[in-house]
Amino acid sequence: MALIPAMTITIVCFYGFIIWTFVISLTRSRLLPVYKFTGFEQYVRLFANERWWTAMQNLAIHGFLFIGGCVVFGYFLAILIDRGVKAEGMFRTLFMLPLSMSFIVTGVIWQWVMNPGLGLQEAVRALGWTGFEFNWIVRPDRSIYTLAIAGIWQQVGLCMALFLAGLRNIDPNIWKASRVDGIPVWRVYLHIITPMMRTVFFTVFILMSAIVMKAFDLVVALTGGGPGFSSDLPARFVVDHILNRQELGLGAAGAFVLLCTVIAVISPYIYFELKKERGGRGH
Amino acid sequence: MMKFSKIAASVAFLSVGVSAGALHAQTAEVLHWWTSGSEQAALGEIRKAFEAKGGTWVDTPIAGGGNARAAAVNRMLGGDPAAVFQFSIGQQLRELADQGLLANVGDVATAENWDEKLPPLIVKAAKYDGNYIAAPINIHGENWMFYNTAVLEEAGIEVPKTWDDLIAAAEKLKAAGITPIGLGGQPWQERIMFNSVLLGVAGREFYAELYSTLDDDLLKSDTMRKVFETFAALKPFVDEASPGRNWNEATNMVAKGEAAFQFMGDWAKGEIIAAGIEPGTTVGCAFAPAIDTAYIMTVDAFAFSAMDGEDATPAQTLMAQVMLEPDVQIAFNKKKGSIPARLDVPADSFDVCAQTAIKTLQDKKTHLVSTGLFGVPSAVSGAIDDTISNFWNSADMSPEEGQAQFQQAISYAK
Repeated sequence: MALIPAMTITIVCFYGFIIWTFVISLTRSRLLPVYKFTGFEQYVRLFANERWWTAMQNLAIHGFLFIGGCVVFGYFLAILIDRGVKAEGMFRTLFMLPLSMSFIVTGVIWQWVMNPGLGLQEAVRALGWTGFEFNWIVRPDRSIYTLAIAGIWQQVGLCMALFLAGLRNIDPNIWKASRVDGIPVWRVYLHIITPMMRTVFFTVFILMSAIVMKAFDLVVALTGGGPGFSSDLPARFVVDHILNRQELGLGAAGAFVLLCTVIAVISPYIYFELKKERGGRGH
Repeated sequence: MMKFSKIAASVAFLSVGVSAGALHAQTAEVLHWWTSGSEQAALGEIRKAFEAKGGTWVDTPIAGGGNARAAAVNRMLGGDPAAVFQFSIGQQLRELADQGLLANVGDVATAENWDEKLPPLIVKAAKYDGNYIAAPINIHGENWMFYNTAVLEEAGIEVPKTWDDLIAAAEKLKAAGITPIGLGGQPWQERIMFNSVLLGVAGREFYAELYSTLDDDLLKSDTMRKVFETFAALKPFVDEASPGRNWNEATNMVAKGEAAFQFMGDWAKGEIIAAGIEPGTTVGCAFAPAIDTAYIMTVDAFAFSAMDGEDATPAQTLMAQVMLEPDVQIAFNKKKGSIPARLDVPADSFDVCAQTAIKTLQDKKTHLVSTGLFGVPSAVSGAIDDTISNFWNSADMSPEEGQAQFQQAISYAK
């Protein structure tokens, strides 16, 4: 009984609007929703749109680099802290600080840092190293990587905290046993600790995937999708077409394709993880 | 005659409305996206005039054109419309009228003879079913070229009259270590420069026909390829930090003499004035190089929600009337940096650039529409911005490829 309000909200707001988005994507709606159905015409237009494909490709690149970067750096930082650095509290706070900023603020900060005219490049050149180049943000073939840099900088602290919590939960006896056996520290991490941390990796992966899929504000603030549309992401494509271009049907088609992509990519992983977990508990 | 007496009656009613309870009936909520200093000051002129006539102005500013347009439409659909809202004129507005969401101010327009006083292209875009559904209040020009006179003088360069002249001048400037073109590398700014090249290379008749018909033959023509070649030839003349730059930063580059030219709409004058320079002195204004004279117009307009049927309420009627009054047009447009939508308003109190524009527009052949907000359907407008920006930023794309993509994107969007 207590679940009924929550369930109603989920069903109407979530599944209801997914269906509605799909219905709209089959119409010729522009500024306002109109129910003149045109079959899959909006999808044909979407798939013929070069900007859409750039955005989808960027999503793959960004997702791979961002999630990979967060996991690798986050885990590495957590291990360093777990090894017992001095002033642990200070480092923890330091790495977590970027997280307190919104993606908009993060985007603006990195936009300044990476701007070739006033940021890092100019600063290093002023120090005398005049050949120094760091102009990725203005290069169409590199701009997508700047998104990953700024994104990792912001989220790595959260990943570190999650990994650290996981490391602190490891039974100290494992360390004692491995010391008795004389196994080098790096091998303990690689072959014993890491497999034990699988659920933490899973949590981090899911959290970071959600951030990648809805990435919108970071692109808007950092590159504006530019130069050209070289750093565009699907979420920005959708919002741009629905709100600024009065292309409701095309935007809805984009949103629906994005949803299908997410389901296709994420669901096998979730399925296997959950299955393994259940199996693991069994014996 | 009937209509005239109705108007006369309502105007009479409005002018005595200052007294007592009639005030309430003339409350109008105005939803707009003019949040910057100069924009607010300009809008304040309309507000002052509206309030002097006994209206009560409820201000609802929403930052960002896209957000404000979305908010206006959402409130209309939700049954709580703002009486007066800023919007672009053209297809999108007609779509709202199709759904019966707009009131028409045809009575005021007839009484004040808007048909004769506004440019025909604007009249067409502001009407639905023969009636005005919006009050166009100004004209911004997009094919301006701002230049730093001191920089040009030092390099021994005349103000270029053709794009070939400009390219020759740019080479000279680049050799002297000055950024020839101060460009804000955002899609809409790149499009403004492209449209200036299009107009300059292909001429005003080609421009008008291309964007009114979106015809494949024109898009595939040799003339169009020449346009893309000329546009591509400008690529070496912007600085490295251009992508993503805001337009006003680019204007400041010209004001400070770091860059020589900027191709931008006349709202750049506001930034020049803010830098303490009178437009037409240290920073000069001229039309972008072209084979004939023309003015690419973009229009700010306010539309009226249907509050109670399709006839405008007294407050809406008063607002429409005030917005196009000659005195208000002058006061508003001087602050906004644009020129009056009415072409019969005396020009002598405006700056030199605006005077040139007003004089130019007396010849109807010079009237062209921008592809930004009102000239073409917004889907086409978006496709134009996307492909132009992509072409401009892809160093290895040939003019032929750019032209082909442009044609394809437009044919999918129209």
